[in-house]
This record gives sequence, structure tokens and C-alpha cells, in this order.
Amino acid sequence: MLAFIVRRLLILPIILIGVTLLIFSMIWMLGPERLIGTYVKSPEALKSEKAVERLIQKYGLDRPAPEMYVKWLGNVLKGDFGYSNVGRQGVLQSIMELIPYTFELALYALIPVVFVGIWLGVIAGSHQDKPLDHGIRIFAIIGWSLPDYVFGLLVLLVFYSYLKWFPPGFLSDASMKVMREGPWKDITHFVTIDAILNWRFDILWDAIRHLIAPLLTLSYLWWAYILRITRSSMLEVLRKDYVRTARAKGLSEKVVINKHVKRNALIPVATVSGGMIVQLFAGTVIVETIFARPGLGRFTATAAVTLDYFSVIGAALFFSLILIVTNLIVDISYALIDPRIRLS
Amino acid sequence: MQKKLFVLFICLLALTLSAFAAVKDPDTIVNAEYGAPETLDPHAEWDNASGAVINNLYDNLIKYVGETIEFEPMLSTAVPTPENGLLKDNGKTYIFPIRKGVKFHSGNILTPKDIEYTFERGFLADNSSGAVTLIIEAVSGGEFYTVADWFEAYAGMAYSDAVNDDREPTSAEAKAKLIGFYNEVIDPLFVVEGDNFIVNMKDAFAPFLFIIVKYAGWGSIIDSQWCMANGEWDWKADGWWKWHDRTPEESALHMADAGCGPYKLAVWDQTNNMVVMERFDDYWQGPAKTKTLIFKTVEEYSTRKAMLEAGDADLVLVDPIYRYDFDNNPDIEVISGHPRAQVTSIHMGWKVQETSEYIGSGKLDGNGIPADFFTDINVRAGILHAFNYDALIDDLVNGLGKRVPTDLPEGFLGFDPTLPVYEFDLGKAEKAWKAAWGGEVWENGFKLVAMYNAGNEVRQTACEMLKVYVESINPKFQVEVLGVQWPTYLKATREELCPLYIIGWVADYPDAHNFFSTYYHSNGYYGKRHGGEYNDFAKEYLDPIIDVAVKETDVNKRIEMYAELQKILLENYIATPLYMPQGLYVARKWLKGFFPHLLRSSGDRTPEFYYAWKE
Repeated sequence: MLAFIVRRLLILPIILIGVTLLIFSMIWMLGPERLIGTYVKSPEALKSEKAVERLIQKYGLDRPAPEMYVKWLGNVLKGDFGYSNVGRQGVLQSIMELIPYTFELALYALIPVVFVGIWLGVIAGSHQDKPLDHGIRIFAIIGWSLPDYVFGLLVLLVFYSYLKWFPPGFLSDASMKVMREGPWKDITHFVTIDAILNWRFDILWDAIRHLIAPLLTLSYLWWAYILRITRSSMLEVLRKDYVRTARAKGLSEKVVINKHVKRNALIPVATVSGGMIVQLFAGTVIVETIFARPGLGRFTATAAVTLDYFSVIGAALFFSLILIVTNLIVDISYALIDPRIRLS
Repeated sequence: MQKKLFVLFICLLALTLSAFAAVKDPDTIVNAEYGAPETLDPHAEWDNASGAVINNLYDNLIKYVGETIEFEPMLSTAVPTPENGLLKDNGKTYIFPIRKGVKFHSGNILTPKDIEYTFERGFLADNSSGAVTLIIEAVSGGEFYTVADWFEAYAGMAYSDAVNDDREPTSAEAKAKLIGFYNEVIDPLFVVEGDNFIVNMKDAFAPFLFIIVKYAGWGSIIDSQWCMANGEWDWKADGWWKWHDRTPEESALHMADAGCGPYKLAVWDQTNNMVVMERFDDYWQGPAKTKTLIFKTVEEYSTRKAMLEAGDADLVLVDPIYRYDFDNNPDIEVISGHPRAQVTSIHMGWKVQETSEYIGSGKLDGNGIPADFFTDINVRAGILHAFNYDALIDDLVNGLGKRVPTDLPEGFLGFDPTLPVYEFDLGKAEKAWKAAWGGEVWENGFKLVAMYNAGNEVRQTACEMLKVYVESINPKFQVEVLGVQWPTYLKATREELCPLYIIGWVADYPDAHNFFSTYYHSNGYYGKRHGGEYNDFAKEYLDPIIDVAVKETDVNKRIEMYAELQKILLENYIATPLYMPQGLYVARKWLKGFFPHLLRSSGDRTPEFYYAWKE
């Protein structure tokens, strides 16, 4: 297992260099004249004669691509991703500041997505073609078919406008005031955990109230996905010889499902669940906008809409890193679930 | 039994409804809108969202009386007039007796020296994104719009030749001239004598007081000691250029507050997109009625609406398209139809920067447009005749708008309702497009980016409407609609990157000059963004009329001049108004104290918060 992990870790820098090469190519293709815009903040600087040429030379924008790549990579390694117009500070600072908000949302969403999705999939699979199976599948199809912004607005309408249960935003103004003026200490930057560590259960409850509607929006759309994979995987495993043997041995259906079917049926679910973290991150773009939550998704969307190149590239690099690391974790967990993987 | 149950049900319902209508957090007013401030530095701001915040943090020398455009004293104890002897030398000398005992938020006491520092700092900083250009224009008697131009006239060398990219003088001679410019030109303009602050104008400029009155953020008085202690200009002649035309982010006032207004800045939380202000208890006019103000940026209308309905926001920005959404809600107050000193226009850049990402291929090859696409009058005519103005007013803004012939609101001096407005006529538009660029446009087609500030659904739909009509004329015509966040939008227009965009102008002061100069003068805020070719045209045909009219004291002569100006604008398809918006205030009924004002940032939809309260 260790050799497997080491082997995958050794590949990691190569993949990252590939990603940076790809991203750098995107920057380079913009051409030196467009890149000036990211260095010059005052338009007056472009008005004087030969200003463009002078600035291209000053920032080395006319240098050969490999030289520019090494320079850019050097800056990135030093943590200099450029200035973010959207974040109104360095790109890295903006991303670092927003990561906890989005991570908290995406990670919490993963729990109901995976567990409820698997649970529904197992029920559907073990009741194939029965009314329960049909009901669950209809429920899933509706979720899969609804655009996230439509479902998000419906959730907002029902749970906030009418029921007044789950407000939009990140926290109430009163809680934010406590966080701003104290007593409050940012320890993990996950507000739910920090609220517990600060012994502020009122803020914990406030954070949960603000999390439920976005979590519901994110989860419902992905339950269908997990459910379908679990269900089809369950059906496939249920037809295996060893399941028939287990039943022939007189084991109860509960034992057959839990001990012999579930574990094998969950291998493909584990694979997609890892990738789903990235999908959930992508889903936060709409959810964070509708529910007026701060986060990386909203930041990336705003940067893309406003052609804030450095922010887009910084966010793309960050998402790539997440994808690579997640895939690594998935591969490791895959190997843990299925011993044949590490043997090969 | 049934009757008793019914009565019980009614009582419970009434109790529930009364609980919902109870005032939520009476000490806090929450305003939700889609604009985010660009900066809180009064000398760098020129947008509604920034102005709305700054108005609560800072005070000015004079203010308006209620809803009127009459003046009354503020930090000055008197309004200069010829009658009281404080306006002298044929309108060239203004004397402001400064109020005593006024405290800044820092605890420092206001002195006339603070006023002097404020004006000089604003002048020398002359941030290219800010509105100080209005004061420069006024104090120079309309001769200059930037300090750099004024310096060039004084020194005989361009500012860019005197100071390099690292903000260092290029030579000893340049340095001497820079120091001399402050000592000989700027310093004598603003003088303190005893308790008086005196402005020595280079020439008379009638609207001067309108330019510095409360609601004009750039006329805000700042705390000189706080500024110097926090790295702002040290008030020395040697080195002022280091603080000249910086980006707003470089200013110590960008995210801070050095004012003496009714509220002090608690935080500008960029992560959560909100500005929080707390009541300043030592405010010289007495503490405000409400303890906390929160301005939130909420881009999505449905979210803002839900917040208002739930009482989590006390007032929200509502586009006219949603005017009737709240008609059946007894807890929401809607006031509409009050006048706004504003025009929304479609802008066409005559010369976009070659580096702009919004011009596609940069050629007339069907995949973009040339940087100077709009220099051809037929292109402008093709756009302006392809716009369905009546549909915009009736359907998009639900009747909350009026057509105006040029970019001048109704009621302003020079407004002439008999002037023609552009017709929506696709036949005329087609004819113009066929003639554009010698037929090349019709033959090759184009791909044009039409831009609006993200979140503004009226402008978005207007762009989409334009796309439909223009693309219906010739299948080779493509219009791409692009929404951009407000700060980036302002920056892109300022840097001459946008070929076609919709933006409005809210009057800085109630005079026609504010619109004509802004829109059409070669050095005007929008005029100069149209690029070099436009500037040449404006310098020859428009600037001479605008420059003379502002100094003309005979109203009838002034009206004649503006009539001549508007004739040129219409004949050349330079005036590009879509409509003059009318006000729409949407708030919880428990929010009291609203009165509209033509000149206050967002004054048609937000109260003057100092006087606002909840009950």
C-alpha cells in the first residue's frame, strides 16, 4: 500500500507541472498587449507615446514563451498569482480567504449526498421494480432534471420567504458582529467548528440555519447521481454467484445485503464520490450566488464574467490541485476497499 | 363549538400576523442592493454605491435644505452669497466661516486647516477615477480638468515627462517645477485666515457651491491629522506627486474613514460583501436615530426580495421591471414616480483601446469590430434606430421612465421638449448599416460586445433587445451581451476598453453643464472615454459652446447656446439617451423618514439615513 501511495505522490508534481503548462499557455495566448492591462492600473499610463512598447519591455512580456513560463512559475511558487480585481487583493489571498467558506459548504454537502444517496440506492436496488423502487427513482429523476438555480430559488421561496426558517447569507448580522468585535477567535476558519471551540452555540445554530437551504439545494441534485450508481451496482452484485451461494446457505436477506452486496457495490460509488467533491465545488457557484454566501464559487464566477484573468487562472489552478489530491485519495480508498487494486 | 373554534383561529391568525409585522431589530437598518462600493476615499469615488456610504461617514461645508436645492450651512456656519459679503470679486472669492467644536471620528477637532488640507489633497491626488475633476474645473474657472493639465500649462512640460513610472521627478528641473507648482498655483487657491477658509477661484464658475455641497462625496471634509498619520500626503510641496493619481486601493482612505459624519465605519467586509456603519455619538448635530447601518451587496433579485419580505432587509433595490411585485404585501411601502436627475444612455466608444478584449478580432471580418468602429456616423445611426425605446419604457421599466432628446434630464436649463427623439425604425437602421464603412459592414458583418453592469436587469434586457433587433437586420450581424461586475465595469469604461455599453449619469449638481460637460466635452467624464477621434470632433464643435455657456450669466443666452449644442449632437447621432428614469422606493413600512432628493446618491430609493428610524 505504501509503495502505491508513494508512486502516486511521485506522479503528483508531474501532473501539476502539466496543469501549470496548460494554464500558462492560456495566459500566453492572450498576447503581450492584453497582458499589460493586468499590470497597469492607471489608464493615463497608456496615453503617452510608445507607452505600450515601453511597458511590454518593462514587464518582459515580449520574451520567449519558455522564459516567460519559468518566470511565471517562479512567481507562482513564491505565492504571487497576480492581483485580483474581484477580490481587491492578491489572487492567492482572495482564494485563501474564501476557501474555508466553500470547503465548509461542499464538505457538509458531501455527507448527505453520499449517505442519503447510498441509502436510497440500496433500498431501490434491493426492491427492484417494486413501488418503493419506482418512487425513489422518480424522486431522483426530478432532482437530476431540475436546474440548480431553479431548485435553489424554490428552496429560498419555500424555506425562507414562506416558512422563514432558513435565511440566506452566511450568518445573521448579530453573529457577524460577535465575530468582528469578539469575543471570538478564528481557529479552523470553519464557522461551525469555530463556534463550538468558542463555546458559542448560538452562532453554531445560526450557521446551521444558514447552511441548511444551500445544503439541501446542493444535495438533492446529487442524490440522484449517487442513487443511480448505487442501485445499478447493487443490481449487478446481486446477480453474482457468491450472493446466490450466500442465500443458498440460508443467510438472511439483511445479512446478504449488508455483508456481501453492499461492500462490493460501493466500489464504484467510492470512485465517483471523490470526484464529486470537485463537482460540489462547481455547484457552489450557483448556490453561493442565490443564497448570497461568500465563497470561491461565487468568486470564480464573478472573475469569469468580468474577465479577471489572474483570478480565473488562480482559481483554475486551485481547482486542479483539489482534483488531483482528491483523485489520489479516491485511488487510495479504492485500494483499501478492493485489495486487488494494490496487488496489481 | 364551531363558532368558538373559528374565533380562536382568527385570534391566532391575528397574533401570528402581528408578530410578523413587528419591527425587526429596531436599532439596525439593512439596505440590500447589487452595487458594491468601488472605494471609500471621497477623492477617488464617483459612483452611486460608494457615494451612498460616504454620505454617512463625511460632512461637507454646506448642505441642501430638505428636498430642495436651496443651501444651508453645515461645517461652514454660513453660505457664501454676495449679500452676506462672503462671495466677492465677481464670484471669484468664496469665504466659509468654519464651525467650532466639531469632532472627527478619530477624536480630533475640526479646524479650518482641515478644510485647506482636504481641498489641496483632493486637487493634488486628482485620482483619474474620481470626481475631483469637477472641483478642478470649477476652481480653474473651467480652464482645466486635471491637475496634470494645469501643471503642464504652468511648467511648460507634460506631467508624464516630469514624473516617471516610479513616481520620481525625471530631473532636478522637473522637481523644481513640481514644487513651484504647489507653492505658486495650488497653495494660493485655498487659504485660511483666522476662522475662515477662503477659496480664490481663477475665474468665476457659477455652479461651484453645487459641486461641493453635501451629497457630493468629493466635497467631503477629511481629518488631516488622521490622513498624515496614516501615510497620506504629508502636506509638503516637496513630494506631492507621490500621492498623485494613485489607484483607489493605494489610498489609506480606501477602506477607512476619516470623517465627522453621523456614522463611522465599522467594517467594509469584502468577503461577505457588506459595509457596516455604527452611529457616531459625538456627531455635532446630535446622534443619529438608528444605531447601525448595514449595506449589503446581494446580486440576485429574488434573494433581495425574500430578504425584504422576511424583514431581514429594511429596504432593497428593486428594478422598475419588478415595480408591481409588492402591491399585495401590506408590510411593504412602494413610492414611485418621483423625479430623478438622471439619464440612462447607450455609449459607443469611438476609439476603443487596441488591447481591449471586447473587440474580438479587431477587424471588420465578421468576428469582431475595428477599434474605431463607431467613428462612422452610419454605425451610430444603425444602432440608435434599432432600439425600441417605447418598449423599454413601457415593458422594462414599467412606465417609470421618460424619453428625452439628448442626455439632459427634463427640468434642467436648456431642456427642450420640442427637439426630436430618435425613431425606432428598422428601415432607417438598415439603410444606415448598408452605408456604414462604405458597405463593408453590410458585406462582412461584425461581432459586437454590448456590455452592462451585472445585476442590472433593465440594462441587461436592453442589451438583449438591441441584440435581437440588430441581428434581425442582417444575419451576419452578431451582438454578444456581456454583464460585468460594477467595479470592473467602471474600470473597463474608464480605460476605454468597451465598444458599446449602457450606463447612466446621476447629476452631481443641478445644472445642465454637469450633463453636457460630462457627456460631450472632450475632457468630460464620459466624453474623454470615447477616444481620440471623438475628442478631435468635440474640441472643434462641442467644447467651445460648452466652455462659454458655463460662464454665461444671461440665462436666455445660455439656453440659446445649449439649443445650438443639442442640434449638433442630434444631427451627428452623438446624443444617445435611452430614457430618463423615475424613482422607485421599496422598503418595509416600519422604516420611517424617507424623502427623495435629486442629488443624493440613491436618493430616490434610500432615505437620508441620519434622519431615518424604524417603528
